[in-house]
Amino acid sequence: MRLLPAERRDWVRAVWAESYEVPSGHRRLAWLAGGLAVIAMGALTAGRIGRWLLFAVAAAFTAWATWPGSPDRFATVIARVDLITVVVLLAGLPWLVRRFLGSASDSRLARFLRVGGYGAILAYTVAKARLVPAGPDPTGPALQFAWFAEILLLVVVAGYVAAVLAVTARRSWVAPATLAIGTGAGVALGVVMYAVAPLGLSKNATDPWLPGSAIDPVVALAWILLLGGPIAAAVLAGRRYRGPVDPHEIDKARVWQCGVAGILATGVGALIVAVLGTGTVALMPRAAWLRHWLYPGQHLLAAAVHSRELAASNSGGAYGLILIAFPVIGLLLGIFSSAAAIDSSAPPPGGGGPDGPEPVPDPPGSGRLADAGAAR
Amino acid sequence: MRSRAKFSAQTLLVLAALCEEPSHWRHGYALAMRTGLKSGTLYPILIRLAERGLVEACWQQEPSPGRPRRHLYRLTAVGLASAMEALASAPGPAARPSAPAPRAARAGRPAVDPVTG
Repeated sequence: MRLLPAERRDWVRAVWAESYEVPSGHRRLAWLAGGLAVIAMGALTAGRIGRWLLFAVAAAFTAWATWPGSPDRFATVIARVDLITVVVLLAGLPWLVRRFLGSASDSRLARFLRVGGYGAILAYTVAKARLVPAGPDPTGPALQFAWFAEILLLVVVAGYVAAVLAVTARRSWVAPATLAIGTGAGVALGVVMYAVAPLGLSKNATDPWLPGSAIDPVVALAWILLLGGPIAAAVLAGRRYRGPVDPHEIDKARVWQCGVAGILATGVGALIVAVLGTGTVALMPRAAWLRHWLYPGQHLLAAAVHSRELAASNSGGAYGLILIAFPVIGLLLGIFSSAAAIDSSAPPPGGGGPDGPEPVPDPPGSGRLADAGAAR
Repeated sequence: MRSRAKFSAQTLLVLAALCEEPSHWRHGYALAMRTGLKSGTLYPILIRLAERGLVEACWQQEPSPGRPRRHLYRLTAVGLASAMEALASAPGPAARPSAPAPRAARAGRPAVDPVTG
């Protein structure tokens, strides 16, 4: 019943109520089966069954790619804990968010962001599980630290899932323009950051596009996008926001929009670079085409590949730091920039106030004729 | 020029049943008996007609003891006009309705009262 849109539930209740009038036995069962058909049709209309099936298939694939391995190995245990936690989060948090903010928004961007966010988190889970363990299983304090880092990462992932669900919900406070601006800035940041460091932040990684230069234009662009992107997104989102009429309320709402735009500009970027980077590191020893792309013109021996894979895996934790640090940077820069957005959208001296409706143009020809046509 | 709605043969059967006494509220099971349609066919038709504003629905307000409230249906004014137009141009006689009660009859008490059902 819950899979059904609210407006269709009455119809299912109607079928159920009428079943009391139908002679018992197979005729009543047939009548109720018709009711189930109504449920299926309504759910398919809303696309919910399709989305749940898609999620189930993606989760099954993630489990297939993540689960194998000896349970005696620490990396296998961590991978399984990751898998179970992530699937529970992805399946359970929507129910929680729906209680407060409603179901998913109908906008294409919101749906794209939800599907993309879910796909990215599942892909990150697979990629992280497929990384080559950097050394022997940790023991003692190292083991405790590893578990602490793991739990911290899962909390961060939960935060990402909740954020994606919250900003794309029907009753979200985030304006559509803010969502679009922040997401766009985040995609640009993620792609450029990945181009700069496809194998993490390790100095051992050979960058195909930046041979031997620390001040390459792409590196400069990455820094500009990391620090300037949230500011630009926040100012733009704040200026475009048209919310409550009360000037005090709208200022507060603009600060929120600026902060969210900043978080989106860095959070989306962090997710993209973490998924692509971790995936690249995990795929490197298995995919020759990727090694040719990462190390153009070099013919690496298996030992060299393994060595570089280990080095890259060691720097895989950097992506965890990126996932934590980027949204904090974005939030701070976004809120900091809100002052500029509020100043620039202050009403002009001598009044101002909210924009009024557009003047209605005169009807073509005679207004009377137009009115008469409307009345008909 | 107004475009005429296209209805399937099953939809025409439902419209014909509802047209017989347009002021009356009908139960789903009564409509199923009248049209010979199964619930899995009848209810999607009713849903579509209701979404297009051709059929109005309400809940019985005083259900029989031990029974859930029943859902009742009848044509709207727009629905009656569309149904009459569609049935008049339908090829087969099966879907042709008998003359509907005059619109003024709607002011009177319906045969199936939504309060008592």
